[in-house]
Amino acid sequence: MSAIDFSDPATIAFLTEALTAAGASGLEISWPGGRLRIVIATGNEAGVDVSVTPRPAPTAQPLVVVKAPMAGHFYPGSPSRQAATDRLPSVLAADILGFLRVGPLLLPLCAGRAGILTKQLAEPDALVGFGDPLFEIEPQS
Amino acid sequence: MIEIVETGPFNTVQDLGRPGYRDIGVSGSGAMDPLAVRIGNILVGNDEGAAGIEVQTFPFSLRFDRRTVFAVTGADGDPILDRLELLPWCAYTAEAGQVLELKHPPTLARAYVSIGGGLDVPSVMGSRSTSLRGSFGGNAGRPLVKGDRIALGDCANFAPVPANGLAVIEPAVALRDVFPDLVDGALPVRALPGGEHALFPNDGDAFWSQTWKISSRSDRTGYRLSGEPIKPTASVEMRSHGIVPGVIQVPPGGEPIVQMSDANTAGGYPKIAGVIECDLWRLGQARIGSRLRFVRSTHAEARAVEQAVARYVEDVRTTSEMVKRALKAMA
Amino acid sequence: MIATINSHAPLREILPATHGRARVSSIGARSFLLEAPGEFDLAAQRRIWALSQAVRGWRDIAEIVPGMTNLLTIFQEAPQDPDAVVARLLEAWDNARSIDLDGKTIEIPVHYGGEHAADLPALCDLARLSDREIVRIHHEATYRVFALGSAPGFGYLHGLDPRIYMPRKTVPSLKMAKGCVTIGGMQTGVAMLTGPNGWNSIGFAELQMFDPTSPKPAMMAPGDTVRFVPARIEL
Repeated sequence: MSAIDFSDPATIAFLTEALTAAGASGLEISWPGGRLRIVIATGNEAGVDVSVTPRPAPTAQPLVVVKAPMAGHFYPGSPSRQAATDRLPSVLAADILGFLRVGPLLLPLCAGRAGILTKQLAEPDALVGFGDPLFEIEPQS
Repeated sequence: MIEIVETGPFNTVQDLGRPGYRDIGVSGSGAMDPLAVRIGNILVGNDEGAAGIEVQTFPFSLRFDRRTVFAVTGADGDPILDRLELLPWCAYTAEAGQVLELKHPPTLARAYVSIGGGLDVPSVMGSRSTSLRGSFGGNAGRPLVKGDRIALGDCANFAPVPANGLAVIEPAVALRDVFPDLVDGALPVRALPGGEHALFPNDGDAFWSQTWKISSRSDRTGYRLSGEPIKPTASVEMRSHGIVPGVIQVPPGGEPIVQMSDANTAGGYPKIAGVIECDLWRLGQARIGSRLRFVRSTHAEARAVEQAVARYVEDVRTTSEMVKRALKAMA
Repeated sequence: MIATINSHAPLREILPATHGRARVSSIGARSFLLEAPGEFDLAAQRRIWALSQAVRGWRDIAEIVPGMTNLLTIFQEAPQDPDAVVARLLEAWDNARSIDLDGKTIEIPVHYGGEHAADLPALCDLARLSDREIVRIHHEATYRVFALGSAPGFGYLHGLDPRIYMPRKTVPSLKMAKGCVTIGGMQTGVAMLTGPNGWNSIGFAELQMFDPTSPKPAMMAPGDTVRFVPARIEL
């Protein structure tokens, strides 16, 4: 899983598009190096507010985003199992955070890195596209 | 090649069975849960009828000696690959040397291991399933034992599965509209009245209304049910006739027998009913000691359920091909 | 194991009690059993053979299993209209003319008596005949394969002399050897599997009558004629 620069305009544009597609009203991402806030206004005009700490703490690691491997419906937990409602924010690399459902098939979404699960970026049952961010993990080494 | 590292008795190589030879006394055999075999094979990219392993005594483990795709379907419980817990009903890639372990499932009876290319045992009379009675087919006509090594078939259209696996919504969930859940802990099993149903008093009420328990004298040949014995109003024996899995016979003792995958090909006991074919996989997943009730069904209902199952299997097949293609294109 | 293994279903006439009309019943949703009315005899079986030939050609049939004056038909799927299936089967039965299958003759060398003839003394008592007489009556008769079933390659043979009738055991022998030549009620046969068996053994045959790897696995087929030839008599 590659590190993502949330101050990168391309990333912000991508997230904005994904949020609009998912019908989300906005998101707020905080990381040790800064904070990103996107607000989707009516009329699909997005307001973006990025603040980056000039000198990030040297120990901080970039956030990891679990993305959709293809288009499908997003399921945190699993449709065939009990929904993981009380999921611990601490995750291991192999932990399954949810699934992408395509028809009767399920693509498991693994954390990929050990860390703290800080955000779920899509609503349950939302239709998401290839590459859409679904979870955010703050890695812990 | 795979090697059996650990196994209980009565785990066998099975496919979808050996139909077409009942007229020479050869049982159909095949998996007790054929739906699990079909779905497992589709997930790993095999023909639906490729041979896999039916595990009904646990723990069971095997070692892969080449990189291969595999899936464990059927029973509940998480398979383990080199200490890593996996999902059931999910295809993964195993590396050479990795060991797959199956522990006792929490509620169901039989797990199926499907492997890319299928198990390359000789096809006998059109099937690779093990005939335990006839001592042929499968792996030398006998159950698997520790140390057995079984060749894998060629995997010509090897489509790698995603690193995190490719899972399916299992039949019990995807088809919950047509396969009703347990009622007071008893599995509802749909059946049609059989040839001698009229010989049982009160329209067979004692049979249909009680909860039966699957006795310990049950196996792949048939399930003996324990409960309040039922007796026909007249003692009858039929001329020997062909029978199929699902037939519910009532021997003189009054406790019914449901013939299963290794069913005898001929019988003569009175038949009170016959389980509809599309419910047999659920019965195949019912454990010794579990309870069931028979529910009177119709041909129309059986046909509707058959069609729903066929649509589901077709949906899994076309979607899994599409997903594999899409993931390959995006990789 | 379910104990019905090898305890071949008996011939005793009780059902069908249908007079003149064949009876069709269901097993599950895909299988239908047609039972011929009347006596258990060659005439009825010849019509079952004719019915088998007709039904085998139906497009929606998966498999057929001829039995003793009956026929099990297994369809590929649960039929839309089961009543129409029943009507089709009854019509085919009505149209079925008696045919005689052009069977081959199989000679089975038998070692009568000896260690495998565990039930011969009891049969002598029951029939009030000497062992020599029983063996003679058994091997002088000509038998007809009515149907196969119950065990791979096992033929139900019709034609036993009523003088050597012997009912099946109420408690089966736990481990009867494959190859035992047996009498069960009004039938005789050769055990195809070693295991529990309710029939009465009077001898032993070495002949292999089933080979799963052969293109034609069963030696016997319905319509075949079978003769038992004494290879050795050890009384």
